[in-house]
Amino acid sequence: MKKNLLTVLFLVLPTALIAQKASINGYVKDSTSDETLISANVALLEVNRGASTNTLGYFSITNIEPGTYTLACSYIGFEFFHKEITLSAGESLRFDIELIPKIVEGEEIVIISERELEKQKDIGRAQVNTELIKTLPKVFEADVFRSIQLLPGVKAASDFSSGLYIRGGSPDQTLILLDRTTVYNPSHFFGFFSTFNPDAIKDVRLFKGGYPAEYGGRLGSVLTIYNKDGNRNRTAGTATIGMLASRVSLEGPYSKGSWMFSARRSTLEPILAALRQNNDNIPSSFYFLDFNGKVNFDASQNDKFSLAFYSGQDKVNFPFADDAEFKLNYGNRTLSGTWTHIFNEKLFSNFVLTGSQYFNYPELEFGGTPIQRRNNIFDYSLKADLEYLPNEKHELALGIWAGALTIRLKDRFDGEDSFQSRSHSRYGSVYLSDTWRPNDRWKVIGGVRTSYLSDGQYLRVEPRLSVDYKLTDRVRLQTAYGRYNQYLTLITNEAFSGFDVWLTADDGVPPSNGDQFIIGAKTIPFTGYGFDVELYYRTMNDIFELDPFTADASGLDYPDLFRFGNGDAYGAELFFEKREGRLTGFVGYTFAYTWRKFPNYNNAIGDVNGTGRRYPPKYDRRNDVNLVLSYQLSKRWKSTLAFNYATGQAYTEVLGRYTVLNPWSNDQLEVFSVGKINASRLPAYHRMDISFARSGTFFGLGSAEWQFQIINLYSRRNIWFYNFDFDENPVERNEVPLLPLLPTISYTVNF
Amino acid sequence: MKPVLFTLLSIFVLIIACDIYPQDEYEEFYVVESYLIAQDSLPPLYLSRTAPVSALYLFEDFAVAGANVRIHLLSGGQGSSIEQTFTYQMVDNGVYNSSITHEVMPARTYQLEIDIPSDPSALITAYTAVPDTFSSQSTVPDSIVYQSENQLELDISPSRNTERQTYFIFTTIAQNPSLENFTPLYADLYDPETDRFSDFVKISSGIVNEANFETKPDGTVTLKYPWLAVAFYENNTIVTNVLDDNVYDFVRSQAVQLGGSTLSPGEIPNLVYRMEGGIGVFGSLAADTIQTYVKRPE
Repeated sequence: MKKNLLTVLFLVLPTALIAQKASINGYVKDSTSDETLISANVALLEVNRGASTNTLGYFSITNIEPGTYTLACSYIGFEFFHKEITLSAGESLRFDIELIPKIVEGEEIVIISERELEKQKDIGRAQVNTELIKTLPKVFEADVFRSIQLLPGVKAASDFSSGLYIRGGSPDQTLILLDRTTVYNPSHFFGFFSTFNPDAIKDVRLFKGGYPAEYGGRLGSVLTIYNKDGNRNRTAGTATIGMLASRVSLEGPYSKGSWMFSARRSTLEPILAALRQNNDNIPSSFYFLDFNGKVNFDASQNDKFSLAFYSGQDKVNFPFADDAEFKLNYGNRTLSGTWTHIFNEKLFSNFVLTGSQYFNYPELEFGGTPIQRRNNIFDYSLKADLEYLPNEKHELALGIWAGALTIRLKDRFDGEDSFQSRSHSRYGSVYLSDTWRPNDRWKVIGGVRTSYLSDGQYLRVEPRLSVDYKLTDRVRLQTAYGRYNQYLTLITNEAFSGFDVWLTADDGVPPSNGDQFIIGAKTIPFTGYGFDVELYYRTMNDIFELDPFTADASGLDYPDLFRFGNGDAYGAELFFEKREGRLTGFVGYTFAYTWRKFPNYNNAIGDVNGTGRRYPPKYDRRNDVNLVLSYQLSKRWKSTLAFNYATGQAYTEVLGRYTVLNPWSNDQLEVFSVGKINASRLPAYHRMDISFARSGTFFGLGSAEWQFQIINLYSRRNIWFYNFDFDENPVERNEVPLLPLLPTISYTVNF
Repeated sequence: MKPVLFTLLSIFVLIIACDIYPQDEYEEFYVVESYLIAQDSLPPLYLSRTAPVSALYLFEDFAVAGANVRIHLLSGGQGSSIEQTFTYQMVDNGVYNSSITHEVMPARTYQLEIDIPSDPSALITAYTAVPDTFSSQSTVPDSIVYQSENQLELDISPSRNTERQTYFIFTTIAQNPSLENFTPLYADLYDPETDRFSDFVKISSGIVNEANFETKPDGTVTLKYPWLAVAFYENNTIVTNVLDDNVYDFVRSQAVQLGGSTLSPGEIPNLVYRMEGGIGVFGSLAADTIQTYVKRPE
């Protein structure tokens, strides 16, 4: 019965209905590498019909009257493509478009279709140009997450953290997918960098909020990152030497497809060796490394297979005293196998098997007492996504995601188990959505997602809706609503992500849920410029996170590990960008509030039965301005400037103090009395970074580029937090600063 | 159009300018400190006031004199009738001692009551359920070799008076502390310019839950004493403390104030107090002590 239904739905019905109409479909690719391009705009100009390529670079336009048309295609950074095609009745034309990269020279002005950014400019969505990631001034190493932190609505906890705090959500509220596979700890250097090697990446897109039914499992946002497929035309490579890390990337074709391999490793050893000459407290060894790879196999015109992997690791050995050593080994591994099958011009499918592992093994050998942790996540899943185009007004999407998640956490103290938690969860979700375009002006995306977790047997339904109205050719009005659930929580510390532990919902620990409401407008005030506005409001209910007052988790019932609370966040984001010419860039402004509330937390002293007052988390920032400007100084020289101004972060002002005797030692216990938590603000944060890039050749073997950067150009002493020195009386408050002025240099060769 | 824009702009500026979560002003609180130890005499009680954080802090300057301090032994749990009352007298500025000698009874509940004649609105009350006594069951070796395979093991009799697991704090008190007697780790950690030597003489663990240890069928808990708790060779006294809820909450929340939890740096909560009308700790412990001699390894 089911088989019959599918046949009717996907095969017979479309063929019967449009037998006399024509269609065109295919991939949009970069002509130099045959890399598929995501969200490229394809159109038949005469009939004003169009489509955007999906995440695999595929497009399909159906229900076309037979005739001759101009097929056009545009994508940022590529020459505008147009070609005359003729479609006969019943024809399904397979046409792969190859776009030629545009070379910016002198004062040449890049012409971009005004329609081009439509897909990228869907509500709550932002796309980060991978070239911009490499161009931005960087703290030692080009970083995907730090580039994303420049977008409105996205904040950083500190200069030392690459964690993403998006629209009032903590980092665990963002689902991070690398080639459709969940990455659990996307950090190197204990949170300083994100794990993703910019040389290996072809596409980064962020759903800041109101994300579609295709995704789920997080309260706030989704970040999707796709590895490069590899050059299908020639073998090519790039190598970069930096002060902190060096990286190499190779890609090329083979008879049935392409491959890509990329590696990166820190190169701190000489610096550590030099520091050890004069300092005792320097790690004896420390490195991070990562590998990315992808192999594509084009079995036929309609069947493509790919296998992608990522492996990253951080390892440190730190003997900090005689008879005391700290060791940490943590990292991620992902593997995904994808089968893309085009049934016909109306039905596109994608099947993915994913595997994701996270491991975290801290060890402390302290005066003959070993303290160890073994923390593992094993997540294996199957995803299937179908895109079906019954007619020009509807795009149906249907998908499933099912998997098994094992989280193992084991602590050992002095050779004996002190805490053990092991969960085997099965999870699943199904979604259905329809993109309905009743006419040229309206686009409505309605969807529903149902998700399930075996631990606690939670079943949740999540409706999603977004409406897009094109007021004029240059103004789009948008709104979106979505319900979201989250079955996981992250135990972390903003200062150090090297001990990250994920835990799941379970009996007595219900999943978090929240609603998001967004309205916005995307405008093109002048050709080559964009101005966007978005307002959002979101709730966060049943947030579960480790109770910070838990002194020792041993023997506690699982629900007793957590505190359960609520939160909400609201704000406005403005984004003005200049997309063309020698000077490009953007200004983003965010005005935001975010709140949390936990029972019996942040009560006034003496209010022992209080329900807890709501408070802003540290990363709440009322005003946040980011300016990014790139200027092509000459054929060889390019400069990029990034400036950030933000309201100081929230902190708790200490008001009073007292001491009591410590019955267990010869010192005293120092105690503060405080008022409302996080009711004060650090001084405003601002920092300017600048980079200069000089392109040239490497002994005629290939192109090369020097990059010179200065971080914190005017050496602003931004404050991370205040520390207290109790040896002084009155107690002394000291500032713990963020990054100082930091010059860096790197050299890249492309061959 | 202009008036609308002006109004919207004004509202926006108002929202930005308006602080909807203002900082509190400093408020003074009475501070109580007293730890009852099962089978010990009633301890002294310290009564003071909090100091503004910017002020020079000496207990004497903020001590509260002239208070009426009473501790009641209750017939049952919290809210039950008073069986006996112990009146305290001030013996020093802010320091109060019981007028009668009384040995704190294990597994019983005591109530604190303080009023301050100079402040008629002040009434401080708190309760503590004293942990039951326990003892080390095993025979402790006279001496052990530092970091040898034969670690010191303590068999601790079960606690009987709580519905929850037992919370321990272990303290090692060196009897022959000297620079020469430092174990290698602490010899390296000790910096005479920044550290006080006395801080190493008496060191303690954080809170350790009973579930960390092996429990035998008779309910005895076997504890392997970690080498990291030994700062000095030669004679050491090891004290096992069992905490009541008040001390447990006070200690664990005090540790959070100074960092090290999952809270962001700079997010400082108040301590968890089990007291009305004041802050501090009125809690109780049960403790047992053993002696051992730690030999240098060959």
